[in-house]
Amino acid sequence: MARSPTLSFDRGTLLLHPPPPGKAWIDYATWDDRVERFRIPAIRYRRLVEVLNAQGTPLLDKAPEFSALTLESALEMTPYPHQSDALASWLAAGRLGVVVLPTGAGKTYLAQLAMQAISLSTLIVVPTLDLMHQWYAHLLAAFPDAPVGLLGGGAHDNTPLLVATYDSAAISAEALGNKYALLVFDECHHLPSEFTRVIAEYSLAPYRLGLTATPERSDGKHADLHTLIGPEVYRTSVAALSGSVLAKHRIVRLTVKLSARERQHYDALIETRNRFLQARGIRLGSLTGWQSFVRASALSRAGRSAMLAHREARALAFGTAGKLRVLVDLLAQHHPARTLIFTDDNTMVYRISRQYLIPAITHKTPVKERHDILHRFRTGEYPVVAASRVLNEGVDVPEASIAIVLSGTGSRREYVQRLGRILRRREGKLAVLYEVVAEATSEEQVSRRRRQTVHVRPYQQFDLLEPGLRVAEAGDETLDQQNRDGQEDDRSYRPSY
Amino acid sequence: MPKRLPCNADNLVLAAELIGLFRAAQGSTRGEIGGQLQILEGEHTDYRMKRGLAHLLESAFSTFEMHCPLDPSTLRQRVFMCSAPSVPSPQSSTATLTAVADTLSRELGRDIGPEQVRAWLYADMREEQVLTSFEEPTPEALLQRYNLAQAQGALYRASQVVITAHRNDPGEYKLLFRYLKLFGLMTYIEGDADHGFTLTIDGPTSLFTPSTRYGLALAKLLPALLHVTRWSLVATLVPRQLSPYTPQVARFALDAGCGLVSHYPPGKLHDSILEQAFAERWAQTSTAWRLEREVELIPLPGSVMVPDFRLVHADGRSCLLEIVGYWRPEYLRKKFAQVRRAGRQDLILAVSERLNLDGAGVKREDIPVRVVWFKDRVLPKAVLDVLEG
Repeated sequence: MARSPTLSFDRGTLLLHPPPPGKAWIDYATWDDRVERFRIPAIRYRRLVEVLNAQGTPLLDKAPEFSALTLESALEMTPYPHQSDALASWLAAGRLGVVVLPTGAGKTYLAQLAMQAISLSTLIVVPTLDLMHQWYAHLLAAFPDAPVGLLGGGAHDNTPLLVATYDSAAISAEALGNKYALLVFDECHHLPSEFTRVIAEYSLAPYRLGLTATPERSDGKHADLHTLIGPEVYRTSVAALSGSVLAKHRIVRLTVKLSARERQHYDALIETRNRFLQARGIRLGSLTGWQSFVRASALSRAGRSAMLAHREARALAFGTAGKLRVLVDLLAQHHPARTLIFTDDNTMVYRISRQYLIPAITHKTPVKERHDILHRFRTGEYPVVAASRVLNEGVDVPEASIAIVLSGTGSRREYVQRLGRILRRREGKLAVLYEVVAEATSEEQVSRRRRQTVHVRPYQQFDLLEPGLRVAEAGDETLDQQNRDGQEDDRSYRPSY
Repeated sequence: MPKRLPCNADNLVLAAELIGLFRAAQGSTRGEIGGQLQILEGEHTDYRMKRGLAHLLESAFSTFEMHCPLDPSTLRQRVFMCSAPSVPSPQSSTATLTAVADTLSRELGRDIGPEQVRAWLYADMREEQVLTSFEEPTPEALLQRYNLAQAQGALYRASQVVITAHRNDPGEYKLLFRYLKLFGLMTYIEGDADHGFTLTIDGPTSLFTPSTRYGLALAKLLPALLHVTRWSLVATLVPRQLSPYTPQVARFALDAGCGLVSHYPPGKLHDSILEQAFAERWAQTSTAWRLEREVELIPLPGSVMVPDFRLVHADGRSCLLEIVGYWRPEYLRKKFAQVRRAGRQDLILAVSERLNLDGAGVKREDIPVRVVWFKDRVLPKAVLDVLEG
């Protein structure tokens, strides 16, 4: 008697042997001479099994090692209409797809509903260690009896319910591929990069949910989300959720002059650099211009000193002592208001921390300590926390009412997420965002670009006020162009947990 | 393509200078060493090479440890909690540090100043770790390691490597395949012992789309390949698409004459005393059959068998010999399954009579090849009898 075709999992791929009758399956398979078997990309698992079932081929499926989960929720609540709608669309789309919801609209609770609908082993992938711990805490609260584990930040759990960072999940993609039936990608715009896409590609998971507020990527790879996760099944905006009411806030831009000596030094450095650039006919400002500068700087002594001058000038503009003076002044003015300080690089964060004894959070901060710092910030034990990029995405720090941005890269997402963070507040007070830049340096251009993007294309990242705290008018002149064309929906929104 | 540093006087002096810097830097922090290296770099355009050498010294030859009498994380909490009520300023920082320093002086029973507390605040950071021991390489060894790392660096972007193993005796293939398996790579083998083999190496998913996913593993395989006697390698590279002018693919070639030196320990000459003793006895036997070691590769689906020996007669006849000594039952089962799958008529197995074949589920009459049974040692005569028989 002929053996049944057997499907097995091999490091991110499937092996099918002996070959089944019929032809439909062959579209998915490639003959592999190395093992003398047909091999199929893991991501095609669901289609392949569907095709074989449709033609009635008996199949011995040894590939998946999914496990069943009993998810008894301790956090049962009536979902908001947008959550029920998003869930229904996702279920109707075959339990595959991307849901676009603004930050603060209860993505975690939606994921919880999806997990309960599937009730099979689930891998949740998140971009930062902070988010990893936030999800972990939420899952423990939601499913007290479920086996929840972590992968990333030193943790190597192997549980049917696993929260992992994109990096760690990508490194272990081959091993994770057949263990999870449902993949949840938080901030799923991270997935399509070359290094992390394997999490989706090497996985059998027949069910996939992508969550994001901002699916678009500057490299255009967001189109790949369709193949890696599924189609966009639901999208809604802040405006549609509650009639475009934003938290009231103010942006104050402070320009710091370099001291006369700093100015002189800065100009000399820029001149050194520009002399070299002119001599070589290199124009900065475009990617290729920058690349030819980098190349040229490695080839000659003059080029090398031009590059060093460029770096020093940049450091001067970004980290000038004047900014620290302004910082101390602002802290004194607002003491003891809950204040977040953002800088672009770790060096600056640690400099502030050492000099003014302010707790610092960077990607190097140990996980336990990071939690301790954020906890004490929430309770008010630490009125001020300094952070580099790590707090950029979706970490909930509702208590901050002042944010001070000491430098930035000019990237739209980063700026707005920082903005959104201090707007996530529930007191009636006015939130203030200070942006401290040095005057007439290249850095100022960066800041202008950022502000422009806020004008041109308002971001939908802002948390919504509770009903009692609604303000009729929009924020200040910087954000009052926030689009208000959404329906006047009087539904109040409350965070779901 | 990666740039090599020839072992000339200039480079040796440079290597010695960097080694000297590390030797003298014992007790310094990573950050301090970094500062010294930066001074050494200056405005010279050879900074990449200096940085590369320094990176190797730091990562492969040095041990760094944290120097702080208490847990820095706990110290931070104490300091920040103490400073939290006051408005941040240089003055309040000094007051806080002095207060903490006084408490610590009492607790640790020694005099601790406020600036010492500030220095310990982030003692657990990489830059603050202290160089505690340095296994000093010779300048030559450092340059060799650098050149190897350069070649490995090129392979990080490799989607596939094709190795041509020329007719080799000894082949030293077992070590290569051990690493190949360890790093999760796969290979497709063509050729024969007399003309050499072509090994196409990549990973499971390479079948669908070439990717650099296995680049790191391919780079780590290189030091193992360097132990093989005669070979050449061509890697297909996928360059980072930095500009529209970057080519989609590039090639990187290397061969046994590349002069690179492996830092992996060489494979054992023989797997066991049994094989070693047999090879020695064969050398003293007068016969027209010549003994070659690890020269044949028998591709099996998803695997490869490297027989211990190949016997070649002056008249052109040849035969493979695999010695099966003392092994665990699973290994035996696998070995005999491999032999069956290999389907080679020219294979002879030397099997120990002491093996519990029944226990491993292997039936003597099912072994599909010729067998030389032995008690304690494999005798050349017994093998010759089978060969000529």
